[in-house]
Amino acid sequence: MPDLANHERADDTVRIATVAALAVVSILPILVMLSTSLKTQSQIFSGSFSFFMMPTFENYRNVLEGRFLGYLGNSIIVSVVATVLTLVFGTMCAYAISRFRFAGRSPIAMSTLLVRTIPPAVLAIPVYFILTPLHLDGLAGLTISYIALNLPFTIWLLYGFIEQVPTELEEAATVDGCGPYRLFFTLILPLLKPGLAAAAIFTFRIAWNELVLASILTNRTSRTLPYGVYLFITDVGIDWGQLMAAGMLVALPPLIFTFVAARQIITGLTAGAVKG
Amino acid sequence: MQLGSGLDRRLTPYVFAAPAVLIMLFGLLYPVIEAFRLSFYEVRLGEPVTAQAFRGFAIFAEALSDSSVRKSMAVTLQFSIIVVAIEMFLGVGLALILEKPLRGMMVFRTLLVLPMMIAPICVGLIWRYMFDVNVGPINSWLSVFALKPAWLAESGLAFFAICVTDIWQFTPFVFILALAGLQGIDQSSVEAAKMDGASTLQIIRYVKLPLLAPILMITILMRVIDALRGLEVVYAMTNGGPGLSTELFSLHIYKSAFVTQRMGHSAALSICLLIVTTALSALLLMWSNPLRQKGR
Amino acid sequence: MKISRRTALKATLGSALAALPLPYVANAAGTDWSKLRGQTIVINWPSHPHFDIAKKLIPEFTAATGIKVELDEMQYLRMKDAQVLQMSKPQGDYDVIVYVIMWKTEYVQRNFLTELAPLFANEALAMKDYNKDDIITAYLEGLGLVGGPRGYLPGPGAKLYGIPYGAECSVLAYRKDIFAKHNLAPPKTYDDMLAAARKVKEKEPGMGGLTQRAQAGHQVTAGWLMHLTPYDGLVIDDKFEPRVSDPAAIKATEVYKEFIDTGPAGAASFDFGQCINSFLQGQSAMYCDSISIFGPARDPAKSKVTETTGYVVHPKAVKYSGELGGFGLAIPKNSARRDAAFAFMQWITAAQQDVRVTAQGGQPTRWSTLDHPDVKKIYPVDIYRECLKIANPDWRPIINEWTEISEKVLGIRLSEIITGKTPIKPAMDSAAAEIRTIMTRAGYYKT
Repeated sequence: MPDLANHERADDTVRIATVAALAVVSILPILVMLSTSLKTQSQIFSGSFSFFMMPTFENYRNVLEGRFLGYLGNSIIVSVVATVLTLVFGTMCAYAISRFRFAGRSPIAMSTLLVRTIPPAVLAIPVYFILTPLHLDGLAGLTISYIALNLPFTIWLLYGFIEQVPTELEEAATVDGCGPYRLFFTLILPLLKPGLAAAAIFTFRIAWNELVLASILTNRTSRTLPYGVYLFITDVGIDWGQLMAAGMLVALPPLIFTFVAARQIITGLTAGAVKG
Repeated sequence: MQLGSGLDRRLTPYVFAAPAVLIMLFGLLYPVIEAFRLSFYEVRLGEPVTAQAFRGFAIFAEALSDSSVRKSMAVTLQFSIIVVAIEMFLGVGLALILEKPLRGMMVFRTLLVLPMMIAPICVGLIWRYMFDVNVGPINSWLSVFALKPAWLAESGLAFFAICVTDIWQFTPFVFILALAGLQGIDQSSVEAAKMDGASTLQIIRYVKLPLLAPILMITILMRVIDALRGLEVVYAMTNGGPGLSTELFSLHIYKSAFVTQRMGHSAALSICLLIVTTALSALLLMWSNPLRQKGR
Repeated sequence: MKISRRTALKATLGSALAALPLPYVANAAGTDWSKLRGQTIVINWPSHPHFDIAKKLIPEFTAATGIKVELDEMQYLRMKDAQVLQMSKPQGDYDVIVYVIMWKTEYVQRNFLTELAPLFANEALAMKDYNKDDIITAYLEGLGLVGGPRGYLPGPGAKLYGIPYGAECSVLAYRKDIFAKHNLAPPKTYDDMLAAARKVKEKEPGMGGLTQRAQAGHQVTAGWLMHLTPYDGLVIDDKFEPRVSDPAAIKATEVYKEFIDTGPAGAASFDFGQCINSFLQGQSAMYCDSISIFGPARDPAKSKVTETTGYVVHPKAVKYSGELGGFGLAIPKNSARRDAAFAFMQWITAAQQDVRVTAQGGQPTRWSTLDHPDVKKIYPVDIYRECLKIANPDWRPIINEWTEISEKVLGIRLSEIITGKTPIKPAMDSAAAEIRTIMTRAGYYKT
């Protein structure tokens, strides 16, 4: 059927063009940030924008003279711990809701659905009032808040994935004498890899990028990167070069993370692992 | 591990659920209750909450009669509806177009995901620069047509700018979830429809979209909530201005907490936001409750 | 030991110091500062040209006193959030804060700051020849005193809570070349300024008349205040009644709006950085704001107008009235290292350091600095003295509620006016009503 083949090829061309256009739209602003971060101030203020310049790392040097390395460390600690714990606790809870009928299941499920709508701006003030007397302001309190903020979404994302795992598998394993905890960690968790990867991305993203709670709960030693960048937005002549360099440093780890993990996640998604 | 006793087995679900539930109680529910409590008191940051500071619902009444509060609510509603509608349309459309594996697709999909991975504060910075009237690339490109709009200085343009930014950033989110949903569709029903001679559009309309509906509902829910929650991007881009034209409600709450330092006022506003978001999510839950769906 | 340190220090200070008396560190060694050796103080420090220069001297302070200094730098309008959060705790992070003038009353009323008189009276702590009277009077009174008339003016009841540092008044900068090209004289009055702005907008494509601050919130209020008191307008009067919709204030608002309309592209959203850059990059013919432009205008890296900038005193409308603002240094009550903090405050604002910072483009704190030959070489000192004469301590009402009035009322209403969304009079009527609500809630009108 040559007609169909031609049609498909034309179809592919359209799709490739679409994809290419979209990719350009997506990354263009990021490239703008990158190129600006490598320019001198006079190049930036020259009036006409260009992607080309004699790259200088001056902006990065200036940014790194400050406290940015410390902020980076704080951000890594908070994001990694929050992501790991969110995934573990969230999957466990989703599993309980999916597979067990127990008193309190519905209230837990429903209230989880409702609390996932809580905006960080709502939490900011009470969290300061609660955590400061407990001396939990700082990284510990921030991590707890991020886990709490991320759990609802993670639970419901993974609930969807768990629902698609056929119960026959578990029934067979139980008949073979496998206890519920081993069953969960050895049988269920591996099947959830695509879901976990997706949940990890979203959790990490929120913990890494969050600004509101971080601005309330941290001080100069526990500050995380986004708040660090925020404090860099100077009023006395926006130094776009330095600001973009700071922005790049904040954006870079998630960008790398995406490039590294995307293959796995997208393969996981496209391989149909979600299917029952 | 051996099969446990009857008690053990009954405890199992609680063991699984407990860590998440406890953290959510402490990290979400307790602060919300505290916000409720604070909203009755006229206290400033760092001051003790005393009986003399109790004002009851007076703070709510005052906050709700504030014209800037109402303006900010209107802006937020408008913003959420516009951006979520456009993002859903684009995101689902993209997922449908790009569903089939394509050579080099992996790289493309990765690139599409990037905007949403970047910190909102960076996104705000990037687009503040993009839209900058003097040094920004957009005006640099527009200068070909002798145009020099002051994007962030005029209400309508500034609102347009924050919408563009949000759509740029979050369409990939819709795309990812929709794509995950499409991957989960049982291909046999699609094949069956093809056999029956259904066109691509018919397959999308009558087979794929209905099957996608649950995940699309969840996506809309997440996006609306996110749109109501977000403030960092706008904070970096316009700080809510000019006037109140881009003052999203979350931003308004955050700013008022520091500007006036009146914790009760800010807490009352945040309770209002909470009621709006919770009501919205409850509404959408009636449509699509994950508890009531079995599989996809 | 003493001598060797002094010698070493002298060597590092270079030629700027040659003409000066002995370094102040000598006095430091004579006091009880030795007890403070080894302490580390934390300072909330703004990213700001003046403080960028001052920062370079800090290693010398550490070398001289053994007190280590850790800076927590941030954009200046972000500092208030961080300071309030820290000062609200039983023990905060900061030993010294750099505050903006408009926060002083609120901070003192909330019991955040340490009164300085007892510290100056403490002979073990006070620097022997720290001449407080040499500090520019308007600055010391405007930035340091709280508790006097209206809560913020000098007079009975006023106590010292801070030392001005990076203080400023307003000046008019104009483009000599552009003014000459269009036969315009340097503006003496607001009518001159308005005429020049119109002419430039009409005749110079791509250039605006006056660049000013206009971003919603604090900035637009600051931009508007530049013109309010010259037209004899007031925000609130002696009975704390709002006067922002009085004829004088309306006139000032009309003038502000016209400057926006005849200003550079995008003027209606400028923050201070964009405002000053517009002038430095040659996109505006006039700038009427802080004297902090003196430094950057001379710096070829930041300025395209190094050779073409002229200065005159902030022009007269109904009367002469210039800005009085900028920064001060204070010690939070909850600082655990108050003495070391006080040592630092004196050292950095002492005459010798002040000259060096000013000579590099910083902002002077002391009269004697203005007399120094190195400073005269680079600073328009005569204009500066004239500007100081008209600096108005009541330029804005620095009451407790000022931040709220400035950011939530005027900062919104004025932004609506300049973007053409609301006519002036109704918007200012609303602003007046909103200010009255705030003042009522705060209890100003109780009999």
